[in-house]
Amino acid sequence: MLTSHLSPETGMQRITVLQGQAHVSGAAGDELTTILGSCVASCLFDPAAKVGGMNHFLLPEPPHSHDPAEVDVHYGVYLMEILINDMLRRGARKAQLRAHLYGGANLHVGMPPIGSANAAFAKSFLERERIPLLREDLGGAHARRIEFRPATGQVRCRAVENRLAQEAPPAPRPAHGGGDVELF
Amino acid sequence: MLQTIRILTVDDSASMRALLRHALADPGFDVVQAEDGVAALEWLAGNEVDVVITDINMPRLDGFGLIERLRGGSRHRDRPILVLTTESSDEKKARARAAGATGWIVKPFDPEKLIAAVRRVAH
Repeated sequence: MLTSHLSPETGMQRITVLQGQAHVSGAAGDELTTILGSCVASCLFDPAAKVGGMNHFLLPEPPHSHDPAEVDVHYGVYLMEILINDMLRRGARKAQLRAHLYGGANLHVGMPPIGSANAAFAKSFLERERIPLLREDLGGAHARRIEFRPATGQVRCRAVENRLAQEAPPAPRPAHGGGDVELF
Repeated sequence: MLQTIRILTVDDSASMRALLRHALADPGFDVVQAEDGVAALEWLAGNEVDVVITDINMPRLDGFGLIERLRGGSRHRDRPILVLTTESSDEKKARARAAGATGWIVKPFDPEKLIAAVRRVAH
């Protein structure tokens, strides 16, 4: 469930996108915001259709993987497709999409570089889908606050104190439905 | 000697096509790929296939349109068509079934379940 409130400073409707969520809007008064540690946020927008969307994810390790630095690419592609399909339903065209990527920090020394693995997945996805990456601020060891206006594609990315990024474990794949086969 | 099963996958996402190729070519299927319904129909006009696996949301011609065109023609009307989609609504599933789909698979797909489904419908 998304939370939103009216910002008294900007007059914008600020919608918080938490880990595991995605939100798409074409409203000029909407601003999507999130705080990232090792998570990655993809901000996609179509400047012609004036529609944009943000997701916020931390991918789990793939099933059967013994390498803690690997991520579940199947699930990542699924999450990106959910965001893109929602944008297409609201009038965006895939060939017109532009992207920004943020996050993917490695906040804790000595831990597996899961932020880097998530950032690498997001970049490779955009490259494969031929979606131009206009701006990225990835990696490092600091948390970030993102404010994204989906109708215009404007983004502000600021470093914030690491304690503000609440690091939740990666969301697992959906328990039901994913991969299930129903023959008619 | 058993004949190799030829699969046509139809999906506008290059990333999804790469995952499908990896999942299906490794166990020995002959995999052909199209990026939307129009490209699939163009290829099917001159080629034979054992199973079609198609996404729903695609430009030019979506998965529903592709199923309807194949079922409405003569050459591939009996071919198994599996829908592979992020869609989870019962309404869309019912629409695919009514159009003539053979099965419905929800992404993210499980390679083992997908392979089992292909073998089952390919006969």
